[in-house]
Amino acid sequence: MAAVKVNGKAVEAPYGSLLSDILPRGSTDTPCGGHGRCGKCRVTAHGALSAPSPEELVHLTPGELAAGVRLACCARIEGGCTVTANAAGQSRVQMDGELPKLRLNPGFTGYGAAVDVGTTTLAACLYNGDGTRLARAGGPNPQQAWGADVISRVGAALSGGGRDLARSVREGIGELLHRMSSEAGIGPEQIEEVVITGNTAMLYLLTETGPECLARAPFTAGRLFGEELPAAGLRLPCVHAKAYLTRCISAFVGGDITSALLYSGICGGPKTRMLIDVGTNGETALWHRGRLTCCSTAAGPAFEGAGLSMGMPGQTGAVDHVLVKDGGIFPHVLGEGTPLGICGSGVVDALACLLELNILDESGFLEDDPAIIAPPVSLTQRDVRMVQLAKSAVSAGIRTLMHRAGVTCREIEELVVAGGFGSYLNVESAGKIGLLPMELVPKVKVLGNGALSGAAMLLLDRDMRGCSESLAARAETADLSADEYFMEAYTEGMLF
Amino acid sequence: MSILNEISENLQKGRAKAVKQLVQQAIDEGLPAGRILDEGLLSGMSVIGEKFKRNEVFVPEVLVAARAMNMGAQLLKPLLAEEGVKAAGKVRIGTVKGDLHDIGKNLVKMMMEGKGLEVIDLGTDVAPETFVETAINEGCRIICCSALLTTTMGVMEEVVKKAEEAGIRDKVKIMVGGAPVTESFAEKIGADRYTPDAASAADCAVELCRA
Repeated sequence: MAAVKVNGKAVEAPYGSLLSDILPRGSTDTPCGGHGRCGKCRVTAHGALSAPSPEELVHLTPGELAAGVRLACCARIEGGCTVTANAAGQSRVQMDGELPKLRLNPGFTGYGAAVDVGTTTLAACLYNGDGTRLARAGGPNPQQAWGADVISRVGAALSGGGRDLARSVREGIGELLHRMSSEAGIGPEQIEEVVITGNTAMLYLLTETGPECLARAPFTAGRLFGEELPAAGLRLPCVHAKAYLTRCISAFVGGDITSALLYSGICGGPKTRMLIDVGTNGETALWHRGRLTCCSTAAGPAFEGAGLSMGMPGQTGAVDHVLVKDGGIFPHVLGEGTPLGICGSGVVDALACLLELNILDESGFLEDDPAIIAPPVSLTQRDVRMVQLAKSAVSAGIRTLMHRAGVTCREIEELVVAGGFGSYLNVESAGKIGLLPMELVPKVKVLGNGALSGAAMLLLDRDMRGCSESLAARAETADLSADEYFMEAYTEGMLF
Repeated sequence: MSILNEISENLQKGRAKAVKQLVQQAIDEGLPAGRILDEGLLSGMSVIGEKFKRNEVFVPEVLVAARAMNMGAQLLKPLLAEEGVKAAGKVRIGTVKGDLHDIGKNLVKMMMEGKGLEVIDLGTDVAPETFVETAINEGCRIICCSALLTTTMGVMEEVVKKAEEAGIRDKVKIMVGGAPVTESFAEKIGADRYTPDAASAADCAVELCRA
């Protein structure tokens, strides 16, 4: 065993172990799941360590290496050493919105909770039997230690981490339930009913269902939920409660979309309307003439703050908005302090500004590389290319659904933007960079965390469950991988 | 400007029609097809490839340039056969089983064709044995595997194993690439080369074919 000092504390570690193996969970960001691809798990380490790996040579400058900066997922312990890791910050959590007037019909008399298991964050709210919200709580999804995106976590579950992934998210949910209960002055065991929503993979991992079918083509989910389980089976602190998991539509259009659709109210009625939720995937749904079609496009991690040279989640120090004033770039930094990086909403604004200032041309070529946004935060040419891929995937998904249904932008009466990223996004900028079709920008309605609000509706009115399940069952999912129109829209959409 | 330069310039701008016309004109003027290919089409594509590597141009520019190149190459094909001009090498390419992403794979294919290689595209969701069998049947020097998912990149290891089993590891080189793939991964599974982008993949393939 080697003697290692972690943040000043002495520990013993087996020779050859990775720094990431010995660091406490959550002490570094690991959007790529510890595969040496993202370069975000930087720590400072000195002593007997392995020589820099090829991945570290890609992500770290010679100056950084000389200063002892290492990637925790690459550097191995070869003897005594010291490691300093700065704890990762807390992401903003988007909470539920105002609920519409409901016919109150809960499955509980005392207390019930709605929980949204997002890939990045968890959010929950607690209600009493007369529909009054008593408390809210949010926090990071602790599964982030296995990677920022769904596929990394599915991959981790398949290589034996399924039990740990399930335990970690259950503990995360449990903590929210504890916090809300104590705020409301009750015990968590007094919660009689929980509605849990999330994307298909999140529900698979929560229930420890083997996610093999989500890992590779043809991506057919065998379990779509819309079912009630004993909460005790999920090891939640509300041991007497029933847990209802919202119905998923397909492997990549999950129960969170089903509940966001319910809250958005776009389905039913004669109006043609769309809903989109942008994260690492862009889930899109179109309601047109009594039919619901959905698709999911791989936007990648660019809008989640990962994958870009100075990308970060929407935390203190992130440039979250940028505008052009007097021919110059004016950034806003979360927490008003020193800029440390840039988050998704900041990236979208920044590109819109660079276009306006002619620093970025319509092909995506950057006149000044890197383009300074808020010193020392900048965007490189490579960053711009990443965003081009991401934004065109999203817009091509929207256009393909419209094309399949034979609908033009003029006929769309409303575009509902759901989810955390959508809430912080400046939709004008999104239109300018082509993330959303410009013609739809005036029709945008920002929903907030529609998944959580929808889950609350399913909690307070049980009758809605049947409707949402049958809507999800009838929904069609468009397969974009074989769609020629999508491919064309995707390549065209990369331009600005 | 010479007509070959003009072909190269128009190709870089993605002007397919102009490229086709100019190639026909060059043929009519009696230029050898091999020269039109090398100094016109391939020289234009190699400029695009270099710019792509430096991030100066992106996917759309490569696609339109490749489209223009194909228009010109169609006209040259029968003449090249007559002149006895052979491709610089033969490559098998595909996205591995379980994975349906093909943009990256298509870019690699275009860049390789832009280097004068003959590329046989197996499409997406390709089983390891298919890579190996077809490489044997077609006498390919290189197998190129692409994967975009952490959950499917493991299939690349099976491709290497199948190639070993078939006893072709001394004749066929295996190249791997795709967003989740890294140098260490390639090393671990026993692949010959990893390249981080399409243009480098094409350069690497040419180098392997020359060796």
